[in-house]
This record gives sequence, C-alpha cells and structure tokens, in this order.
Amino acid sequence: MPSSQLGFRKGTIVRNEGHGSIFYRMEVDLPEPVRFVPGQFAMVSGWPGSDPLLPRPFAIFRSGSNAGRHSVEFVYKVVGRGTALLSGLHDGDPVSLTLPLGRGFDLSGEGRTYWLVGGGVGFSTLFPAVDALAHRKAAGFELFLGGRTRDQLPPREWTPGGQAPGRFHLCTDDGTAGFHGTLVDALRERMKGVPAADLARITILACGPHPMLKGLAGLAAGAGVAMQASLENHMACGFGVCWGCVTAIRDGEATAYRRVCKEGPVFDAKEVVW
Amino acid sequence: MTAISLPDLSVNLGGGLSIKNPVMTASGTFGYGLEFSPFYDISRLGCLIVKGLSREPVLGNPPQRIVETASGMLNAIGLQNIGVERFVRDVVPRLEDAGATFAANIYGKTPEDYEAVAARLSEVDALAAIEVNASCPNVKEGGIAFGSSPEGIARLTERVRRATRKPLWVKLSPNVTDVGAIAKAAEEAGADAVTLINTLVGLAVDHRSRRPKLANVTGGLSGPAIKPVALRMVWEVCRKVKIPVIGIGGIQSAEDALEFLLVGASAVQIGTANFRNPRVAAEVVEGIEAFLRTEKIASVAEYRGTLRLP
Repeated sequence: MPSSQLGFRKGTIVRNEGHGSIFYRMEVDLPEPVRFVPGQFAMVSGWPGSDPLLPRPFAIFRSGSNAGRHSVEFVYKVVGRGTALLSGLHDGDPVSLTLPLGRGFDLSGEGRTYWLVGGGVGFSTLFPAVDALAHRKAAGFELFLGGRTRDQLPPREWTPGGQAPGRFHLCTDDGTAGFHGTLVDALRERMKGVPAADLARITILACGPHPMLKGLAGLAAGAGVAMQASLENHMACGFGVCWGCVTAIRDGEATAYRRVCKEGPVFDAKEVVW
Repeated sequence: MTAISLPDLSVNLGGGLSIKNPVMTASGTFGYGLEFSPFYDISRLGCLIVKGLSREPVLGNPPQRIVETASGMLNAIGLQNIGVERFVRDVVPRLEDAGATFAANIYGKTPEDYEAVAARLSEVDALAAIEVNASCPNVKEGGIAFGSSPEGIARLTERVRRATRKPLWVKLSPNVTDVGAIAKAAEEAGADAVTLINTLVGLAVDHRSRRPKLANVTGGLSGPAIKPVALRMVWEVCRKVKIPVIGIGGIQSAEDALEFLLVGASAVQIGTANFRNPRVAAEVVEGIEAFLRTEKIASVAEYRGTLRLP
C-alpha cells in the first residue's frame, strides 16, 4: 500500500526548470522509491529560515527508479512567496518532502469511461491518472485541458497517454487555442447528444480552480455523470493533524467538516457542499 | 574502561509524575498522536498531548481556518474533536500499544463540562495527566472566558481539581495583562503545573477584497514569531510560582527548547513546528541530549533555570 511508505524525506533537486510562462517542473532525487496513487500529493519546502513557515502542497506528477536512482517530480505554478522561493532553487539544493499524502482518485470502476478535466495547473494531478488508465486497455478516457490563454496550457511534450485510445481536448478562455470558452462549457458541449445510458458509465476526474469544479459538479449532477473532484485548501501539515484544511461535506442532513489532506484531496463531487 | 555516562533527561512535573525527557508535543498540533507513528517511535517523547477533548464531539469553525503569517501562522480551528468517549474507546488502547506517555487537553463551555471530561478521563489508568485549556482564543464560550482573570482561573482549576486525582496542568493565555497573577491563582487552586503560552490573538486581512482572511475573523498566532513573548512569560511565571512550568511557543529546535529550560521551564511543548517537520520533536530530544553530553552537564535538572542575569 502506498500509505505504508509515508515519511518525511530529505531529497536533492536534480532539475527545476521553468516552462512556458507560468509552470515549473522540479525533479528531486530521493534515497528510496516513491509509490503513489494518482491524486496523492507531497508537502514540499526547501528555502532556508522560517519565513515562509509552512511547506507547500504539490500533486505528485511522476515518480521513478532507474539504475538505483529514485526520483519524484512536481509541476507547480508560482503564486506566492513560497513557490517563488522554490522556483529559485538549483540542482544540488536540498528539499524536504512529506509524502505520499492523501486519498487519490478511485480508478477501480469496471467498464467505465473517464473524462479527465484539468484547469490551469490542475493537469499535474491528472496526468498520473492518464498514465494509469493508458496502461489499462479496457478503460476509455478523454482528456480536457483548459487555461486562460494558449500559453497557460501545459507544454505539449508533457501530455501523457502513450498509444492508448484517448482523446484530447483543449480550451482557452480567450480562444487562442482549442475550444473558446471554459472547461465547463466544453464539457457541456461534449455531453450533447450522448445517450443517458452512456453518460451513466462516465466518471469525471477533475482538478482546477474552485469555480470550475463547482460548475462541473453542477453539470455532472444534472447529467447523471459521476465525478471525483480534487480539492485544494490552505493547509499547514498535510497529514491530518492541524485540521486547518477542512471542507464542508454532506453528512446525511447535516454538514460535516472533512480534511482535504486526509479524507481528500479527492472527494465524490456529490458529497461536497459547493 | 571508563563508562560513558549519559545525561539524565528525566524531569519531575509534580503530582507524582516524572517523565523520561522534557520534550512534549502541544495539544492541537499533534492530532491524537498516532498520526506521527509513520515518522518516528512516539514512545520516545517525554509526553504527547492530544487534541483538546470536550464532552461531545465538536464540529469546529467554518473554513478558512488557517493563514500563514511572517514566521508564524494564525489558526481558528475552533477545537474540532471526536469527543472524550470516542477518544477513550478508540484512541487510548492504540496509544497504550504504542508505548506512548500521553496526556489529554480538555475544554468545555461550562465548568460542569470540564468537570465531566476530567472525571471520565480519570478512569483511564494509562493517562499521565490532564491539561486544562483555559486559553483558546477561537471559541466564544469556554477557554479564554475562564482564563483571563485570576478569579476565573481559580474557580475553574478548583472545580477540575475536585474531579480528578490525575496530575493537573492548566494551560494559560498570553492575552492577559498579568500572566504571573493568573499562574499564581492556578497554583493556589491546586494545579500541579502550568503550561504557557497558548496562541496570541491576531488578525490577517486581504487588502484587495477588504475582508478578513479567516472565517472566524481573528485567530491564534503561533510559530517562531511568538517565541520571544513566550520566553518572557515563562521566565516571569517561573519566578512567581513553585510548581513546574511547561514552556511552549515557537520552539522548532533543540536550541529553542534549551532556551525555555534555561529560563526555568521544567519541560517544553512543541507545537506548530510539528506541521513543518513531523520528526521535529524526536530531533529535539536527540539535540538536548547531545548538548548536555557535549557540555558535560549531568542532567536537565542541573541546567534548568540557570539563566545568568546582568
């Protein structure tokens, strides 16, 4: 089980490069291999001193072992001081990682078709799921990627899938690439004409900004499509002890608070109080 | 052959309780303890303090509950917890299996609530101590309502004292004018030790949206940013009371912990640093031992309270 490997690890950066206008890709060498379920994440820090104080949560993008070397990769976007400091680290710099964390996507459904929907840097959570599905010949999938503009889409060479029979859809808010509109609009278009019986066999896996997830959840519920949403929230620890990252979840008639880091980050969209 | 003598890390916390080293983990930053088992053997801690327990489970405050600040963080969790019964039933046996020394932090809306939780926990043989939270800034009732005056703290301490024979610690707030007077009141009312400090009340706002960042508006500030305030208050209280003082506030290394022992604390609690490095408390135990060995100091007791004033 991946959770049996949970640990606090010291690693060394072997690559930390900017791509396009906003994305960075960091590869870290570790003394031991990392196994993870698509959708799981790590808490990452690497700057000296205590300001910023807290590590940053990043989805695990890839992990691998080669010739006795083990590594893990993250894709991140510079949004504040912590990520800005991380983007300034170089090969050979040490980083601290707590991983693998959280509950990832459930890809166990027999005979299901998966629609993977990534807004902005949300694709970094979904690409490992694409890899996993591509290895399962029986599972069909389609990938929807969206950004505000063309240069906010992931670099083409990162897009996974191998030779699997997947379909790829791009969309941009400004129409500079692919469908002109939001991912919610793109999914609505895609659903048109699909018989209800087929929709009932689809599961949406989504990660992206909250308004996108909320819009998708409404669309999915209305169309009878299952949806798993990967949520984000401010978190301090990442492993369930601070109770800072909770999100409201339906608990029968009542509302309960569940930890995004522990019970999530992937939740059944129907349970989330959007 | 010369025997290498290891420093004696054990400390006496009063009320008949001695712990193997002075390093504890603070309530609210350590879950129910078991969450840290993947990172190190939790039986190495002097004592771990579980998340504040109430009579019934508590939902806590709505999100957003935390904000990062300069060398610190604000939290407004609102004491979400599983309630005392579930703790006794589901968690205690597992902490015992792990060989951990553990204490429970308790709180309530009324003195009766505190009394009831203390009485229930008194039945748990393995529990090392009860720590009364008289200082949470994030709930309207309970916590700070009792902890902001010597009279309030005396009444609450007496009440809980009558309900339990367990070692009783009272966790104090820094959000008061005279922390020494409040510590003295807790001592006179029967506390075996005092713990300080809890978080400082703070506010974070967003200048664009013009809104507070926390749903609760204000929150409790913790982390290295508060260490100088905590150190001063611990020093002040150590000169006021005879019972042991447990120091807490911004400790993230063995050096930080030693500073608290130097000003007179008998033990320390590590809080927010557990979020940053889940192994930190174990590293602090090792660091204190290494320091005492290097300096050829025989025991924590010998080092404690040896601050040289000008």
